[in-house]
Amino acid sequence: MNGGMMDESALVMESRFVDDGIARLVLEAPGIAAECRPGQFAMLEPSPGAFPVTRRPLTFSGCDRSAGTVSFLFDVVGKGTSLLSEASPGDRIRLLGPLGRGYDITPGRWLLIAGGMGAAGFPFLLSRTGGGLVLAGMRSSRGIGCLPAGSRLATEDGSAGVRGLVTDLLVDIDWDAFDSVAVCGPAPMMKAVVLAAPRSAAHRIQVSMESGMGCGWGVCGGCPVPSSGGGYLSCCRDGPVFRADCIDWERV
Amino acid sequence: MKAPGRPSIPASFWGIPIPGPVALASGTCGFGIELAEMNLLDDVAFVFSKAVTPEPRDGNEPPRIYDTGMGLLNSIGLANPGIEKVLSDVLPRAASIGRPLVINVAGATVEEFARTVSALEASGVHAGYEVNVSCPNVEAGGMAFGVDPSEVGRVTRAVRRETDRPFAVKLTPNGGDMVRAAQEAEAAGADAVTVCNTFLGMKIDWRTGTPVFRRGVAGYSSPALLPLVVAGVWQVSSAVGIPVIASGGVREASDVLELLSAGASLVQVGTGVLRRPSLPSEIAAGLRELLCED
Ligand SMILES: Cc1cc2nc3c(=O)[nH]c(=O)nc-3n(C[C@H](O)[C@H](O)[C@H](O)COP(=O)(O)OP(=O)(O)OC[C@H]3O[C@@H](n4cnc5c(N)ncnc54)[C@H](O)[C@@H]3O)c2cc1C
Ligand SMILES: Cc1cc2nc3c(=O)[nH]c(=O)nc-3n(C[C@H](O)[C@H](O)[C@H](O)COP(=O)(O)O)c2cc1C
Repeated sequence: MNGGMMDESALVMESRFVDDGIARLVLEAPGIAAECRPGQFAMLEPSPGAFPVTRRPLTFSGCDRSAGTVSFLFDVVGKGTSLLSEASPGDRIRLLGPLGRGYDITPGRWLLIAGGMGAAGFPFLLSRTGGGLVLAGMRSSRGIGCLPAGSRLATEDGSAGVRGLVTDLLVDIDWDAFDSVAVCGPAPMMKAVVLAAPRSAAHRIQVSMESGMGCGWGVCGGCPVPSSGGGYLSCCRDGPVFRADCIDWERV
Repeated sequence: MKAPGRPSIPASFWGIPIPGPVALASGTCGFGIELAEMNLLDDVAFVFSKAVTPEPRDGNEPPRIYDTGMGLLNSIGLANPGIEKVLSDVLPRAASIGRPLVINVAGATVEEFARTVSALEASGVHAGYEVNVSCPNVEAGGMAFGVDPSEVGRVTRAVRRETDRPFAVKLTPNGGDMVRAAQEAEAAGADAVTVCNTFLGMKIDWRTGTPVFRRGVAGYSSPALLPLVVAGVWQVSSAVGIPVIASGGVREASDVLELLSAGASLVQVGTGVLRRPSLPSEIAAGLRELLCED
């Protein structure tokens, strides 16, 4: 699915921390901005030098076609994301994309369920679905400023919204009221959400899976996702967005 | 030991004209189909495919990839669709990549290598083979074939019996004597040796005391390994008459020239292509610049 990918030397338009350890990057990459869809991702080169050796995958958080820009929102967790967060306006970052299969955007009512930074791609998704109800589970109030306005919130430490997990917010949800469900977050969280959903909803749920990635464009075999049909799917080529019933949750 | 020489740019390999010395390494370019779709094969001499085994293999349980920041660890586990699907689905599509294809073959026994090559002979798409002796030898307790020069000789003879096409034996730097393994491969009829596969590496999460990879160890590649590969190419090319294909650590044009100086006839790029699909063209431009300056 990555036939149309481009490798752009993108100009950094904006680079700043939006919260403790959460960075936002806006890059000018007109070719990629013209083509990318919600749920797709890009591989960003953290440094023009030799190290780190591979790029890092980040989902598109926003896209402004007329300005030719795309934006990313990410947790700084290691060397790659740390280097990316240190970029300054005027720098250039090599950007490979758009990669993977994004969300299947069908008309109707959308329910979006995020765990932590899984919400990074939701602003872009909401801009194409024309809205939807957002449920988010966060560890603390850190990062809640990044959530779309009107999100229902659960925090593990109770510092904002209800105290608990995102699955606690599902109790009040009438699944039949939604035509499509998008889920993005850490694997255990997505598994809990899928298991909490009624069986009849499984084919309407789209999950955005995460995996370490070597290439992002389908050749290294480094990002397996357990398939319900046995064996593995490739996160970067077959996903990262999958229908929930394509995944073998036992092996996730 | 012969003295390293000034690099000369080869115009052909195995009798096939090439646009330059850069080839795509096994496991980091599939069968070249994705790069061909993006028109990124113009400066590629040969495409070395992902390893093919007799039966389909799902590959290892995740995680399979870990970038330490200084180098890449991989534990893919020879994931591939097996000979039958490769013949029916993959090779017909690879027929149009427009560059000579070399199929990387692997097996758990000598017989599996022979069976893989014999079955692939049914296709006219590929130019030759690369025999991956880094995989565990089930008949020898799971130690890599490549560690034991006499096992390298056995595999090479078995493959030679199955094909008239040229093939390279891809050596492993882990534990064995690459020079002796290369000599055995040459004596048994190999048309080239590739120096070399990934180095054994390991990542442990010291907080929990557990290795990141289920199998513990993994294959390590990094631009920092270039001098190790330069040394290996120099030693091996001093000891054999067949061409030496360099594999490991290449990031830019000067790395390629250095490996040619050490005695390589062809230079593979692997991990570098994962990061930059256009690396072969970037290197070709770099080579033009360096050789013109000179
Ligand atoms: C399709 C896709 C989209 C993504 N989108 C986003 C996004 O929009 N926002 C966002 O914040 N993140 C996103 N991610 C996650 C992001 O790619 C990673 O956080 C990033 O690659 C980490 O790189 P790093 O160099 O900073 O950290 P690294 O140094 O690579 O590692 C980060 C931490 O994880 C640990 N770790 C890494 N790999 C392993 C492993 N295999 N096993 C055990 N531990 C490991 C490390 O020890 C370290 O503590 C996405 C991932 C994918 C696959
Ligand atoms: C993800 C990955 C998969 C690989 N798969 C194979 C393989 O199937 N067969 C093989 O002979 N070598 C395989 N290799 C080794 C490469 O072909 C190459 O020899 C090695 O990585 C050193 O070159 P590099 O530093 O340019 O990557 C693999 C390497 C990587 C990183």
